[in-house]
Amino acid sequence: MPSSVTPAARPRFKWRKWNNILHRDIGYIIVGLTLVYGVSGIAVNHTADWNPNYAVEREGREIGPLDGATREELIATARERLGLADEPKNAFRPDPETLQLFYDRVTYAIDIPTGKVIVESVRPRRVLFEFNQLHLNAPKQAWTYIADAYAVSLIIVAITGMFVLKGKTGITGRGAWLVAIGVLIPVGYWLLHLYVF
Amino acid sequence: MKSVLTIVAVLALTASLAFAGSPKNYGKTLTLKEVTKVSEILANPEKFNGKRVRVQGAVVDVCSKRGCWIRLASDKEYESIVFKVDDGVIVFPMDAKGKTAIAEGVISAKTYTVEQLIEQGKHTAEETGKPFDPSTVKGPKTVVRIMGEGASIQ
Repeated sequence: MPSSVTPAARPRFKWRKWNNILHRDIGYIIVGLTLVYGVSGIAVNHTADWNPNYAVEREGREIGPLDGATREELIATARERLGLADEPKNAFRPDPETLQLFYDRVTYAIDIPTGKVIVESVRPRRVLFEFNQLHLNAPKQAWTYIADAYAVSLIIVAITGMFVLKGKTGITGRGAWLVAIGVLIPVGYWLLHLYVF
Repeated sequence: MKSVLTIVAVLALTASLAFAGSPKNYGKTLTLKEVTKVSEILANPEKFNGKRVRVQGAVVDVCSKRGCWIRLASDKEYESIVFKVDDGVIVFPMDAKGKTAIAEGVISAKTYTVEQLIEQGKHTAEETGKPFDPSTVKGPKTVVRIMGEGASIQ
């Protein structure tokens, strides 16, 4: 038996290996959520130019001046001339010259003296509507925590992403410049927003 | 993969059938028992200013941009009241139009100058996509709104 035994070296913790595993697997998990938030992000960014949730169509019709002493008579005449067999869900007169009839996702706004009608139909934009509801946390409840977990996941993916590669293309080389550019974009824009724009 | 898709489809169908026709709740739970008539509020804005009320009426308009307000019909003809919520806290869907809402919030009665009313009119015209003629604005005028806390729409 040798007089001196070298103790077995403790295996080194391979942090980069675990960093990359974390980066890769969380990245896979959040693909679906990133698509939801990314696509919806572009859509709701431009609410000044369009309605990201609904397609609204307006069509003009003419049914002739409406006669009727009572609201019920006006509604009955309007329905007959518009060919609406069903009772409206609701009716409203915002002023003495206008009658509005509400059906499921369709509103008829009738100008009583002229009989001009604006038919407005509202249709949710398929998929985009659901994406936007999730993005804006309309469901609340458990979705709040799922969205929080997603945000934490993004932070983890961003941080672990910096350490995936070593060497020239890693964080000590080209990566440092790219990270700096990425940080400067929001900081620089905010300063320009405050003092220049 | 096929079985996963089938399960998802069955769950989605079950959920849509279960919730079809049931009232949709927005924001805080409704707690007041007594309904105040919109016509009463509009007739006595000073009396109700700052008070919490529960109202009921047909939804006759919805903010098309952010779903941040609904307009409720009064119990009297030609009258309505705006139920305003903080952007993003509650988002009313456009297809709420024509449905009946029970809503709770605090009455705000503020007097605006002609210039302020024109600004508001322009903003509303942008949101609703409807034409707005600033020359029709007369003021000063007291605008009564409900600062919304919660609503149930069916």
